[in-house]
Amino acid sequence: MIELAYPLALLSLLAIPLLIALYLLRPRRRRIVLSTTALWQAALKDREPRVGFRTLLRNLSLLLLLASALVLGLALAGPQWLSRASGGADMVLVLDVSASMKTRSGIGRTRFDLALAEASRLVDGLPRDGRMLVMTSGHKALLRTAFEADRDALHRALAQVRPGDETGRPREALALALSLLRGREQGRIYFLTDGAFDPDADPGSPQVEFRVVGAPARNVAITRFDFRQELAAEDRFQVLLTVRNYTDAPVVVPASASLDEQVLFRRSLALAARAEETVVLPFTGRARGQAIGRIEVDDDLAADNQAFAAVNTDDPLRVLLFTRGNFYLESVLQAMPNLDLVKRDSPPAEDIARLALTYDVVVFDGIAAPQLPPGNFLLVNTVAPGLPFSDSGRLVRPGTLVRGPSALMGDADLTAVRIDQARRVAIDKPGPGLQRLFWSKETDLALALLEDGRKLVYLGFDLAGSNFPLQAAFPLFFSRSLEWLRPAGDGFVSTHIAAGSTWTIPLPASETRVTMRMPSGRSETLASEGGSLLFDATADAGIYEYTLAEVRRYFAVSLANARESDVNNRWAPARRREEIRPAGNAAQALVPLWPQLLVLVLILLALEWLVWTGSRGDA
Amino acid sequence: MAMNTVTARAGEANLVFDDAFLRKLEQLELLARKIFRGLLRGEHTTSRRGRGLEFSDFRHYRPGDDFRHIDWNIYSRLDQLFLKLHASEDDVTLHLVLDTSASMGFGEPSKFDHARRLAAALAYIALHHLDRVGVSAFSDGVGAALPPIKTRHHMARLLAFLGELPCAGVTRFDSALRAFATRTRNPGLVILISDLLGAGGFQDGIEALRYGGHDVVVIQLLAEPEIDPPLDGALRIVDAETGDELDVTVDADLRRLYQHRLERHLQDVERFCRQRSVEYLRASTAIPFEDLVLKYLRQGVHLR
Repeated sequence: MIELAYPLALLSLLAIPLLIALYLLRPRRRRIVLSTTALWQAALKDREPRVGFRTLLRNLSLLLLLASALVLGLALAGPQWLSRASGGADMVLVLDVSASMKTRSGIGRTRFDLALAEASRLVDGLPRDGRMLVMTSGHKALLRTAFEADRDALHRALAQVRPGDETGRPREALALALSLLRGREQGRIYFLTDGAFDPDADPGSPQVEFRVVGAPARNVAITRFDFRQELAAEDRFQVLLTVRNYTDAPVVVPASASLDEQVLFRRSLALAARAEETVVLPFTGRARGQAIGRIEVDDDLAADNQAFAAVNTDDPLRVLLFTRGNFYLESVLQAMPNLDLVKRDSPPAEDIARLALTYDVVVFDGIAAPQLPPGNFLLVNTVAPGLPFSDSGRLVRPGTLVRGPSALMGDADLTAVRIDQARRVAIDKPGPGLQRLFWSKETDLALALLEDGRKLVYLGFDLAGSNFPLQAAFPLFFSRSLEWLRPAGDGFVSTHIAAGSTWTIPLPASETRVTMRMPSGRSETLASEGGSLLFDATADAGIYEYTLAEVRRYFAVSLANARESDVNNRWAPARRREEIRPAGNAAQALVPLWPQLLVLVLILLALEWLVWTGSRGDA
Repeated sequence: MAMNTVTARAGEANLVFDDAFLRKLEQLELLARKIFRGLLRGEHTTSRRGRGLEFSDFRHYRPGDDFRHIDWNIYSRLDQLFLKLHASEDDVTLHLVLDTSASMGFGEPSKFDHARRLAAALAYIALHHLDRVGVSAFSDGVGAALPPIKTRHHMARLLAFLGELPCAGVTRFDSALRAFATRTRNPGLVILISDLLGAGGFQDGIEALRYGGHDVVVIQLLAEPEIDPPLDGALRIVDAETGDELDVTVDADLRRLYQHRLERHLQDVERFCRQRSVEYLRASTAIPFEDLVLKYLRQGVHLR
């Protein structure tokens, strides 16, 4: 479809009659009377026997002039071709940065070095009107540039890319790349990889071109490393280490595990070709600190020759309960792991602010609460002054309970809950920090409040006067409430994640910043306002350390992935068809046609000149 | 007796022969290679043996021969009868056939003027030798004709006739000469003066003259611009006879092709004439008239 940018320019076609007039007014031939024209006619026949062709040439001259004027008029009108998918030159360069790309390939070079060199060649070969986007494929797909025509910018982006200890997920990266080229069916995706992934990563698109780099390699790897606590034995633990030989020859590998630099075991593992062995070793003592598993082997991939684990023992949750006696409440709190409960049956006589600092959570059950300072509070069948909601009377047998979309409630079933008497509350100052958990049509029955360093969960009825404690939602409600009020672990935990995964750090109400120390030694301060912090810069294996509420905590990042370590199991891409299938939802673009038309005008004028010259010579 | 000055004026023609030129003409003789049957005796000796005064040959006596022509001297010496033969002296009728088509008007001076002056000169020579001279014009047919005249006193009439001839029309060479041959009762010497550039053929016309018993001389007269055309550039040339127009852009290459075509045409005419014992002379208007008559034409057979 052709559109005209300047339709008024078509008025220039009115010049065509003028052109015809000028053609007719060309200098006339001199008229000469001769005794005979027969001999001249014969001479002309000798030169050009095709008289009809000469006539055609004479008319052709005018026709070519008219065609030139017509095309020139069209060119002035600025025609534009509505083309499908003009981005034929757009390319997406996907660099594999998974751990296997660290595999040695030749002297002093890794597979990633080869891929980087190939990427540089592709950037250098980028067409002048082409654009390229650079992205990396690790555990996550990351865009390193936008579609960029500046080769220098692309080279700078490539220079900043390095491989991590991540497990590659090329399928996700290629899906993202294809989505970036949607509507550009002429676009190409170059995936520079060592091919160490499963065949299902291939999306089967003809737009994707795999360029596999690297030579076969030998590798022995730690594929599992973990700690666990023995049942009913708080001081007895087990360490698990799995080592796999990916070579075709048997090897003997010295393996060891240490915790805070204290060697837990050291032994040599004899591994047959392409075999693995798992070592489970019990030990007794304190299980807290940074654990490292190692194998001492000179293979081509060093990233999987060690694995990490962080062993933490969380402090117990300290809860102060003011109640005149509540069987259900006391039972559910005592049933929770790693929780120290202190119970009082009278209102607090000392400073509530000091109590809030001493205890992780302060619970008021049916006892009037004072003005609440910053801290974590759970109010059951009572309302404290100074809150955005206030007590406005009693309500007998409220109607059907309705649950709100809160993380505290999850999908807890409240349909069978019956309440004899509840407190009626009025929302005085609604705000973003006040969240309704569940309610009846008459009043709110459960609320959550987060404001000014204060976290609070309110339950507006006597547990003894309802069947709520008999419901499955009852322990769930209190467990999640306490977890939200003061996030804590459940005692012993071995925390390690796969490289590239996201680590979630729950934040107390008083904490908004966390300083993270990376395995490389670099520290970074992170901020969050949402009660938790998501940390995903975990491409490098090792121990990550951070301090929270004056307590130093760890988590470990390891490769420990059998598929990623299998560096010789490489997938060879099938040969692609050359043609590009047209996309059904192709983008459209306006392509200006005036340059081509201008060239056509010049060609037509040149032809006219040739014809005119030829007709002068022939006629 | 020579005429001092013969002048005729008609139209734009100015046929003037000065005294010296006329005297030179008187030196020329027209010869006829054939024996003509003359109506009157002239100064030409024919090969027809008979009663003429000039001895020609002997032959054996055959019964019925005139005894008066027996050579008795030979009889006395040889005792055989021989008849003495004498050449018969006849006059010759000269037919000047002049092409008056429009194409003859081309050139400066025009071929037509040149042809009329040539015709006048030939007529004068013939009359000087007591021959009979007739003039006929033709273009698309036989045009005006001057019946054969005998005496030099009629020379002024002949010049006036030549001066009044128009130069127009299309050449129909064959049909015109066939008509002339049919119309002429006295075979003689036909001198055809033409450019032979008509669109039609010339062969049938010349053949018709030969079949009519004429001795034919063809003088092809061309203007110098026809032989070496001084043309260049984009032209629209017009045929003087038909009015047909032709757009040409003349360059050296086209001029070469034209001259090649002209040469082929001239050679065709000459070959045709030679094969039929027709005397052929080619002349150009660039040759001074006196040179044409006194030197160039004398190269031919009929003028010495």
